[in-house]
Amino acid sequence: MSGGSPPAIELRGVSRWYGNVVAVNDVSFEVGPGVTGLLGPNGAGKSTILHMAAGFLRPSAGDVRILGEPAWRNPGIYRRLGLVPEREAVYGFLTGREFVELAARLHRLPDPAAAAERAIALVDMDAAAGRPCGTYSKGMKQRIKIAAALVHDPQVLILDEPFNGADPRQRLHLMDLFRRMAAEGRAILYSSHILEEVERLADTVLVIVAGRLAASGDYRQIRALMTDRPHAFTVRSSDDRALAARLLAEPAIRGVAFDDGRLEVRADGLLAAARALPAAARAAGVTLYEVRPTDESLESVFAYLVRR
Amino acid sequence: MNPDIARLTARTLLGQRRTILVVLLALLPVAIALLYRFAAPADADPERFAARALLGGIVTTTILPLVTLIFATGAFGQDIEDGTAVYLLATPVPRRDIVLARFLVAWAASLAALLPAAVAAGLIVLGGSGPGIVAGFAVGIAAGSFVYAAAFTWLSIATSRALVAGLLYVFLWEGTLSGLFSGIRFLSIRQYATGIAGAFFDLPASVFQPRLEPAPAAVLAALAAALMLLLAVRRLQRWEAGEAA
Repeated sequence: MSGGSPPAIELRGVSRWYGNVVAVNDVSFEVGPGVTGLLGPNGAGKSTILHMAAGFLRPSAGDVRILGEPAWRNPGIYRRLGLVPEREAVYGFLTGREFVELAARLHRLPDPAAAAERAIALVDMDAAAGRPCGTYSKGMKQRIKIAAALVHDPQVLILDEPFNGADPRQRLHLMDLFRRMAAEGRAILYSSHILEEVERLADTVLVIVAGRLAASGDYRQIRALMTDRPHAFTVRSSDDRALAARLLAEPAIRGVAFDDGRLEVRADGLLAAARALPAAARAAGVTLYEVRPTDESLESVFAYLVRR
Repeated sequence: MNPDIARLTARTLLGQRRTILVVLLALLPVAIALLYRFAAPADADPERFAARALLGGIVTTTILPLVTLIFATGAFGQDIEDGTAVYLLATPVPRRDIVLARFLVAWAASLAALLPAAVAAGLIVLGGSGPGIVAGFAVGIAAGSFVYAAAFTWLSIATSRALVAGLLYVFLWEGTLSGLFSGIRFLSIRQYATGIAGAFFDLPASVFQPRLEPAPAAVLAALAAALMLLLAVRRLQRWEAGEAA
């Protein structure tokens, strides 16, 4: 951090366990201004980390701070922190406007009605703000929750799976909003289990797998790590055996095997495979019909990052 | 007290279907009183019936704790259960103010449901006689409801099974065990309520005999309410997301 100011969000050696189950294991990171994505498969511990960062879960060990202040049992931090929880529930009998205005009043803002209108406009909910929240779709509930979290113009914003239920247009709108807020110097930490959501928005990424911080840093570097990991494919061609023999001569190919008559190819990385497969096919005079990756699930990507 | 949270709590309670059940339950003493008025034998003793069976009986032992339990758990338990509590807790509002607002609204709602019906029932049975009995039980019910609301507010934050825990307290602890062990009267909100009510009238022991004198009943009620509210605030300060999920 520059200028000696404390990080927006800081975790130092943070663990959280429930009985014998370790949900988060010795995680340390700092989040500064900009958009930071907390990426990981379901059940990896993302929500536990966000709850601890937002002061809603006591760390079993370690220290969690927001702008230099302890997060746990310190309601004062909410003057500068906004939180969007993952759970869908909102007060169904309140209209969207009443819900956001309630948040403004609880923050003791000087003009709650004006603050609520501003926040509602930010999430593009003006037209539906007069309807009870109980009638909202999942995406609308998500946006009104975001408006309530933004109403006091917080310096730090924590969002748990904020794009859940949002349609593609709303998703783009929200991403645009978060980018604008980040450009104004705010720190935004959000969780997602969807690679593309992080790829399109986050400047910095924290990858959480099985409660541990598996990777952190610039998104492009982590993306490169993910792209360069060993990949496996099943291949269908006009002559699988000839192709297999030729592929073994390619340095980027680690091995070939036949499983149930299907050709399986293991390559050093995605790009290496993309170059080696057509080259080998051309050299062997074989036509490629289908190349299908076999381990593209997010879990397998994460598992690879953890092994590193 | 935070007026915004109080308003929100009142709207929460008004919107719940169980509020209608509570109001019907609270009206039960009026129906019983009318039955008594029109069907009681000629030699029946209205004071005995009002103090022992109606106001000191079904109202204080059953309707008062049930109505307050339902309102107190409705005021807080719902939020904790569905996670909407986060919207109140992710603000700089002191936890004490949140607890007080919810507690006071639950108490006020209980009073609104209980007192008019209890007073009306007492007046129907007693006619013009024994005004001290009606006034005494009105104060006793108000005090009892205050302590019950504090206790059940704490339960709502402390456990996701507040309703069951509250029913166990009312019917097992106060209803059954207090009859077996006389010492339990010191830890029984029902006995605080009847003890306080007893200060306002003088009936023979064979008709109505509170197990606590008015002064210790009032002191214990105040101490219990303060302790429960303190526990509720401390519990809410340590409340963790996902506890009830």
